[in-house]
Amino acid sequence: MNYIILIFQSTHRTLLAEKVLLGHGIKFDIIPTPKEITSDCGMAIRINPSLTNKGMVISILNDSKIDFNLYEKWMQ
Amino acid sequence: MKTVDAKGKLCPLPLIMTKKALNEIADNETLEILIDNETSMKNVTRFLADHGMNAHVEKKGNVFQLLVNKTGVVPESAAVGEYCEVENPIKSNLVIAFQRNRLGEGAEELGNILIKAFVNTLPEVTLKPKTLIFLNSGIFLALKDSLVLDSLKKMEENGVEVLVCGTCLDYYKKKEDLGVGKISNMYDILERLTKANSVVYP
Repeated sequence: MNYIILIFQSTHRTLLAEKVLLGHGIKFDIIPTPKEITSDCGMAIRINPSLTNKGMVISILNDSKIDFNLYEKWMQ
Repeated sequence: MKTVDAKGKLCPLPLIMTKKALNEIADNETLEILIDNETSMKNVTRFLADHGMNAHVEKKGNVFQLLVNKTGVVPESAAVGEYCEVENPIKSNLVIAFQRNRLGEGAEELGNILIKAFVNTLPEVTLKPKTLIFLNSGIFLALKDSLVLDSLKKMEENGVEVLVCGTCLDYYKKKEDLGVGKISNMYDILERLTKANSVVYP
């Protein structure tokens, strides 16, 4: 399945995004940033598009003024 | 020089033959072991190293020649079977013991996010653990409202044993909220920990 991967500018921004999305009852996973996206030891948010509406996540993050980069990655 | 010809033999035979030959030679005598597959060569090398002997390995065509001086003692009780299993991910005997619901020392919010990334990556690692153990506040990771519940369930479906400390569930009054694994006790948990080849404490 193609998962949505969201990358933030720092660990602190990732923590903030996690808090905001949890506050909205959004379902997602915290994962280490996939190595093919960046070799930094960073944290990312993984969204299963069949469980969570991608557009809703994007608008929540935009409303909270949290910048992010969005990737799609095939994972088992 | 005594020679063990383990060509064509599969684990644990090269280990058994090596162990037997070592017990038949004198201290400081050299033993030659011939093996024709790399996995067995690594298993025997590791077995020797764990008993204080460094083998000199040379590849001659398709055959590995191991030369070792008997500088260590291999007790009769030394279990050779364990040295076969590490190469096989399904039968690995790695145990991960979660003693709290965070990863490492330091800032709490960082520890909280790190443990999620740790658990969510576990289904992807090559060497699958045999058992996951949850103790003290570690039990919160295995509750129904845990944010890593899906990953833990996936591991359990793939044959990884998940044990959760019953005393701890009782203490935190969370017995009803267990979302994955089976309630266990100190006897079973200590059995798993003491029999493990290695234990990871996140």
